[in-house]
Amino acid sequence: MSREIDRREFFRSSGASLLTVGAALYPRDGMAAASPASPETPGDYKVKWYEFTEHKVSDTCWSLSVGPDGRIYAAACAEGVPGGVVKVVRYNEAKDGLDYLFDVDKMVDDPGNSGRATQCKIHYSFAPSMHDGILYMATHLSGPPIDQPAYSPWLSWHDEKRCFRGSALLAFDTKTDEVKWWETMIPKEGCRCLLHDEERSLLYAISYPRDHFIIFDLKTRQRRDVGRLGSINSQTLFLDKKHRVWTTNDYGHLVRYDPEKDRLEMSPFVLPHNPEFQTGWHSVFYDVAPSPDRECVYAVTWIANSYLMRIWPNEGEWPRVEDLGPVTQKRDPTVSVDTFVDHCGGLTFAGDGQLYFVASRWRDPVYNPMGPDHKEREGVVWRLNPATLEKEEVTCLVHPRELAQYVSRGAVDHNGDLFFGHVGSRPSGIFKVEMPASRKKENAHLPIRMWG
Amino acid sequence: MDEKKPKIDFNSPAVQQEMDHIVHGTFVKQGTMVAFPTGFPGATIPILADESHITALDTSLQGFVYGGTSGKRSHIFVGMFHGVTGMVFDMKAVDDATHCPAVCCGKANFLACVNAPSGGGRILASRLQPWPYDLIQEWGFRRPHFDDLGGVAGEPIVHAVADASRDHAVGVTTHHLFSVDLGAPKIQVVTEISGAGRLAVGSKGGILGPDGAGHLWRFDLKTRNLERQAFKLPAGRWEKSPGVWARAGQRGLLYTADDDGQLFSFDEQRGFSASLGKTMLAPVTCMAATLDGRVFGSCGFGIAKMFCYDPARREVTNIGVAVSLFERRRYGYVFGDAVTGRDGEIIFGEDDDGGHLWLYFPRIQPASA
Repeated sequence: MSREIDRREFFRSSGASLLTVGAALYPRDGMAAASPASPETPGDYKVKWYEFTEHKVSDTCWSLSVGPDGRIYAAACAEGVPGGVVKVVRYNEAKDGLDYLFDVDKMVDDPGNSGRATQCKIHYSFAPSMHDGILYMATHLSGPPIDQPAYSPWLSWHDEKRCFRGSALLAFDTKTDEVKWWETMIPKEGCRCLLHDEERSLLYAISYPRDHFIIFDLKTRQRRDVGRLGSINSQTLFLDKKHRVWTTNDYGHLVRYDPEKDRLEMSPFVLPHNPEFQTGWHSVFYDVAPSPDRECVYAVTWIANSYLMRIWPNEGEWPRVEDLGPVTQKRDPTVSVDTFVDHCGGLTFAGDGQLYFVASRWRDPVYNPMGPDHKEREGVVWRLNPATLEKEEVTCLVHPRELAQYVSRGAVDHNGDLFFGHVGSRPSGIFKVEMPASRKKENAHLPIRMWG
Repeated sequence: MDEKKPKIDFNSPAVQQEMDHIVHGTFVKQGTMVAFPTGFPGATIPILADESHITALDTSLQGFVYGGTSGKRSHIFVGMFHGVTGMVFDMKAVDDATHCPAVCCGKANFLACVNAPSGGGRILASRLQPWPYDLIQEWGFRRPHFDDLGGVAGEPIVHAVADASRDHAVGVTTHHLFSVDLGAPKIQVVTEISGAGRLAVGSKGGILGPDGAGHLWRFDLKTRNLERQAFKLPAGRWEKSPGVWARAGQRGLLYTADDDGQLFSFDEQRGFSASLGKTMLAPVTCMAATLDGRVFGSCGFGIAKMFCYDPARREVTNIGVAVSLFERRRYGYVFGDAVTGRDGEIIFGEDDDGGHLWLYFPRIQPASA
């Protein structure tokens, strides 16, 4: 039994209706976390849900990152609600709860009732700065004006009353909990993803909807538009040792910005994708995690039946790309599975040097007839051993009311515990997965990921 | 905010209809657009993204589309969309050229005007491409030879057009008027004149160009007479214009737009019309007329909107934002030139990174009662 839930339905129904269906089909007492495939000790990988209780209309958490201080920051976004705005939260380990740091709309003087598209979310756009403890963050669009049911940046591009004011870049000082400064980084457009090249004091961003590659010089606070990538935003940028910035285009090619050439270049090959029903189109990056030694990255694509791959950007003219196969289940190739159902995200290395990520799993009468001890859709936490490429299921994310198959981002805090941002409930929130003591490490978040 | 916001019933049909309108009603509202890459799909890669801003187009008599790009490097290409073709052939990458202001097709030859980053322009000429063999079966292309005709006093070329007979091209640099015999391509400097905008071919065959802020000059190829201030521009804002022209059908009626998007028609005998209407946004970046006289174009910065001027109804319609769902799934934001294809389809050149040729097939008009 699967239900169609395209984006509109997803946001409209996140909350009661999904809950009702899920509860009717699968009784609450059968919805405990799936047992880890091989738990090291009882209680390991304990999953806990932290709801954005002080932002009740939040419907998504697109950004979750570890800050330069080793603590977990998350964006409580409200994009499905007219006039919705984003609040920045931080996990407080002392109280084992969330601190609400500030409302972005107020901080950047662009209130939710402005009549414009709102400062509704931060979308893969936390980027740390280690030398001064700043966490940069840039806002994104899609939340409708307070009196409209939806917002189209194409429709309202020339509409002074409705058009999104622009992506606000904020410099949040994690030492003092102050926003040191902010300014509009990309007028009229949102920031889909953000990266910080700290050695060169440059931020890199991809704009939405025009899909332009943007460089923001933190010293001069000047923006430069390098050009258009395509029509579908890649959801991630990553940085290599040569200060080159990588992303993807609409057709699944790697795109590289080389500062020495000041030019966007496209790989001659297409990233791994399903050969039966995909062409490479829409195989843009969804999430990319750097290996601890910075020699390679692990990436998944933003398309149903996403493939996991390992990319070696420092090798050769164009990187070696290892196809690590699909991360979600087989399915009927004659129907496109909802991208909110068939999904993978939350890639992060933990203190044990293993890659963790969350891939969805759903009940399918033919391809995956899960028993009643499973929910209709599940977010499975996987561990990948980089040395052997063996993949092991460690736990499932358990939401107290909703299904939890969609994870946006993951991060490890300075204590070595895993955190994941969740999309699909109202209020939204984050998961903590407590790591076994044997897999924890002090300052497990280092070396830190420099992109959202 | 949470408590004060207006109530919107997302389950009401009216709200759902409004959402559909916001999401889908933004894009091409009538007719169909197809973005075609600057290559042979399945056989070549397209022109590199930052070398593919399409800024100049012309059509040959056999219906091929010749064009030139701007960006890191200019390319000269031909597109074929009839018979068993369906491809764009990147005929030449022009080193040291970053801007292509004009391409002109003759009966047997064509020329492309290109400018270097330093500003100096030159003209390259080659034979028109013959029909290839069946491009579903087997094919082979060789890049043609181009003659470099040089430039005019080292000045950037502003624009050029082929005359109605396709025997000559006439162009302007920043300070000179020139012509080229398309049969035996060679540049002839006509006279000194300040070139400031696009040229057009009038209804009587005269070549027209902007003459200062308020007039057009007219050049007669037969007599080689240049008539200064031959026509006064109509009331409007013309600081950067006329920057755009469209030529309609057999009569050769021209259309242009002022800086604010006010549309005018122009006939060499009757002069300019009164304002025909105003586009939703300004400036108008390019436009062309289909066979029944309707004019289609692109207007506005950042994310352009397409418009239609229908002379029968004397109204300007918002066609919406360009989007392609066939061949390439792509939004279209910036267009640099437009020409009319064999069957009245409008071919827009996308002046953007990863620029495509956009074939717009206008809506078929209902039969009149």
